[in-house]
Amino acid sequence: MAAFMVGIDVGGTNTDAVLLRGAEVEALIKVPTDPSDLLGSTTLALHKVLEHYKEAKPVKLHLSTTLSTNAIVEGRGSPTQVVTVPGPGVNLKSLDFPFTLVELDGYIDHRGREISPLQLEQVSRLRNVLGESGEALAIVGKFSQRNPAHEQSLKEEIAKWHKGIITLGHRLSGRANFPRRIVTAYLNSSIARQQLEFLRVWQKVQGSAIGEILILKADGGTMTLEDSAERPIESILSGPAASIMGVKALAQCAEANFLIVDIGGTTTDLAAVVDGEVLFERDGATISGYKTLVPAVLARSTGLGGDSRIRYEAGTGIVIGPERAGTPVCLGGEHLTPTDAAAALGLASVGSQEAARQAWRDWGESLGLSGEKLASEVFQAFVNQLRRLVEDFYTELESMPLYTIREVLDPPRLRPAAVVGLGAPAPVFIPALAKSMGLPWEVLPFASGANAIGAAAARATVGVTLQADTQLGKVTIPEMGYQGDLHRPLFFDLGKARSLAEEKTREYAESLGYDASGEVYIVEEESFQMVRGFRTVGQTHMVRTQLRPEVCRVRGEDG
Amino acid sequence: MVFFPAFDWAISPDHPERQERLLYTRDQIQEEGLFDHPSIREYRPRLAEDYEILRTHVVLPSLEQTVTESHRIAAGGTIAASDLVLDGRAQRAFALLRPPGHHANRIVHGSRGFCLLNNEAIMVDHLRSRLGPELKVAIVDTDAHHGDGTQDIFYNDPGVLHISLHQDGRTLYPGTGFITERGGPGAYGQTVNIPLPPGTGDEGMLTAMERVVLPILRDWQPDYIINAAGQDNHFSDPITNMGFSAQGYAQLTEMLKPDIVVLEGGYSIESALPYINVGLLLALAGLDYSKVQEPQARLEPQPKTITNQVAAICDEIIELWGRRLEADLGEIFGEADFFERRRQIYYDTDNIYENQQEHIRLCQDCPGWRVIFTHSNRVRQVTAVVMLPWQPCPGCREEAKEQHRQLLGDEQFGQVIWQDPAKVLPALES
Repeated sequence: MAAFMVGIDVGGTNTDAVLLRGAEVEALIKVPTDPSDLLGSTTLALHKVLEHYKEAKPVKLHLSTTLSTNAIVEGRGSPTQVVTVPGPGVNLKSLDFPFTLVELDGYIDHRGREISPLQLEQVSRLRNVLGESGEALAIVGKFSQRNPAHEQSLKEEIAKWHKGIITLGHRLSGRANFPRRIVTAYLNSSIARQQLEFLRVWQKVQGSAIGEILILKADGGTMTLEDSAERPIESILSGPAASIMGVKALAQCAEANFLIVDIGGTTTDLAAVVDGEVLFERDGATISGYKTLVPAVLARSTGLGGDSRIRYEAGTGIVIGPERAGTPVCLGGEHLTPTDAAAALGLASVGSQEAARQAWRDWGESLGLSGEKLASEVFQAFVNQLRRLVEDFYTELESMPLYTIREVLDPPRLRPAAVVGLGAPAPVFIPALAKSMGLPWEVLPFASGANAIGAAAARATVGVTLQADTQLGKVTIPEMGYQGDLHRPLFFDLGKARSLAEEKTREYAESLGYDASGEVYIVEEESFQMVRGFRTVGQTHMVRTQLRPEVCRVRGEDG
Repeated sequence: MVFFPAFDWAISPDHPERQERLLYTRDQIQEEGLFDHPSIREYRPRLAEDYEILRTHVVLPSLEQTVTESHRIAAGGTIAASDLVLDGRAQRAFALLRPPGHHANRIVHGSRGFCLLNNEAIMVDHLRSRLGPELKVAIVDTDAHHGDGTQDIFYNDPGVLHISLHQDGRTLYPGTGFITERGGPGAYGQTVNIPLPPGTGDEGMLTAMERVVLPILRDWQPDYIINAAGQDNHFSDPITNMGFSAQGYAQLTEMLKPDIVVLEGGYSIESALPYINVGLLLALAGLDYSKVQEPQARLEPQPKTITNQVAAICDEIIELWGRRLEADLGEIFGEADFFERRRQIYYDTDNIYENQQEHIRLCQDCPGWRVIFTHSNRVRQVTAVVMLPWQPCPGCREEAKEQHRQLLGDEQFGQVIWQDPAKVLPALES
């Protein structure tokens, strides 16, 4: 019997929920989100969708929520103290972090060698410096991803008297970027308490009608509730990720490269698939101005949607967005919107076509244009603006740096061969956009619930960064807090590094309670000979892996 | 910043110019998060076109046989960096790329001093092609080795002021760069060499900046200042004997305020480059570099004897600069129609010996046209090159054309090449 699944995506305006039975959509419901009571909105959506569930067996739930995102955007995180070991380099005081930092002596270099140790008396003074009040703490060292020893021994010391939450920078990412590591660890600690409360609430729900509960992450993968309490920061921006997972679950498109356009009422999000994989942010997500190391799908959002405001400017002509006008005229609103243009032109059957036509005629009169002409110009302006956004998006993608001759001579090909659209206005605008780009197109079935379907279809993602240095005889996997000695460093080549990384990825996945049987693929790798004084003294290998997130395919009802 | 570490290119596997050279610099820049800083942005390099290379160089036996893609990307990346400034997309630009270029002469038979194409010279000619031949560009070369290639390319070019600070040529490759090398008849005094004694530290370098480089720049008033930023004056460099630190480099950058910085040498890839480059980038962007420091303790302060030696050298150079316009060119270059120069040039990287004979027309109205005859153990048959300056007088143009016609008819030459930098256009190249 096909397994049942519930997916819920709590968005800013609506909460969508889906019940899947294998690849079939059994029910898709929508309730308005009450921003002051996310839990209430979530449980309401859950109850409504479970009305369609008649089995006795507990059903699995995948939950994508804006809880963490909102806490950060609205600045509602708990007070958090940050202890750093910056070593020499950029003066942290010049970086204007919106929180205070304690700087300790100690220095680990780019190869993870300890150049100068922590100062014990500074560490023992920390208790006075930090006081007993701070409940959340983040500990971050420069190059801690190459050697986590300083962060680990600081935690050991501090945990003797500090009973609250402590985040260690190296556990969140294996990527280099000290300021981002500081920000990521800080945010993680600041929202950890809220996530713990969330965990307690959902742990109670778990067990009766609801089976396992998994939380959606910014990279489109899932994590366990327990894991989300350790690393709540990974649950930010799961909404756009859920939509993209919806595309992976629903799209028929067989092209290696395609463009994803998610048109909503207020905004349009763009994302790209290249060589069959969704493109990720190079370093990590940016949220509310905070640059983080959180792995995230690369999505660009702009204020252009079905309910955008339309202005007519002398000289420029028609300008749409970025702000929202409100409900379209055809649905009883006061201001004309792109949706009204589609309604008046007969491209969409939304609300009252006559009301829309009359409003265009009235406005057209003041500009000396027929109502139909104005509506079609607005429609065209919408498509043109969208086309420019797409061009800017790919120009940005194509400006990513290239570090090898091979890449400069043959740069990665990113341009799309098709357009996949979703969102309520997509059926109206996507064909025209694709035509202007000379590309085939596809609009997802269930255009307005693809996010919930994506949440339901998503699978666990786990990745590690292995850094091996055969001269020093060391291997480090920061995400696991692992540092070991290489058994026979001379023979540890890139192939061995790959095998070890794969083995460790599975070990890590299992330790987190995930099914580790899927394919482990290499996201990125590099390998260098180290030569000193005209003699090869060793090699350095970096292998970044990922347990391939197999998205379950969902059949389109009418697609 | 145009960053191109060429992670898939080396002169040979264990050569200092190898894949690993900018690896630790990349690690440090990424870990410091510098590309996230609102004042710093990273751009891609590009390939230099044939015409952009041939405007500056004569490449033998041909471009195809001598220049590799890595060289084209380093030269093209340097041009791309300069375009950022010209187009107003950046206030200052840093071309942090390899392979380097400052030992590459105008005539190229192969690589010397790890260099094949002169990245900053190609870029300077690009600047002039965009902004006009009357542009004044100053190059300040702070590599530990004398910038002999750049000096060779511009030594008779009144549009370029070339200042090279380096470890004394009596103690280091390429063995040139003495105070007495002051430029050709068309640009006499605009080649300024500041040879520093081995062991010179930050103090000596900053003294030379303050007492020689900055006053000369104030005096000459260039439109653009280029820094050929070698990083091998560092106390930890394996192939030189100087005592500069990362702080010293950052201070130098802050004082010089270059418009465009181009990486040259520097082979202390772990102990120096990551820290020098971070300091340089911060200083260039006007940011706080006070906490940038290399892992090893610095050498002892510069000895007093060196301080005195540097002071004496500075005095001598600034005095020569002040009197450069009074020099009797007739006495230096002769009263004949042509000034003749014969040289043997050794290409250490490719083991090539070149023999060169150059004749510069001594002209009252322009820097004078030139003819160069060159051959080597790689290109045995003699090549003749007839060259015009950026702003030739009509008389020189006619004489040069006539000379070119005559040489074309002479069968002893393997190739007869015509180089007129102001007339090189992409359209004419094909």
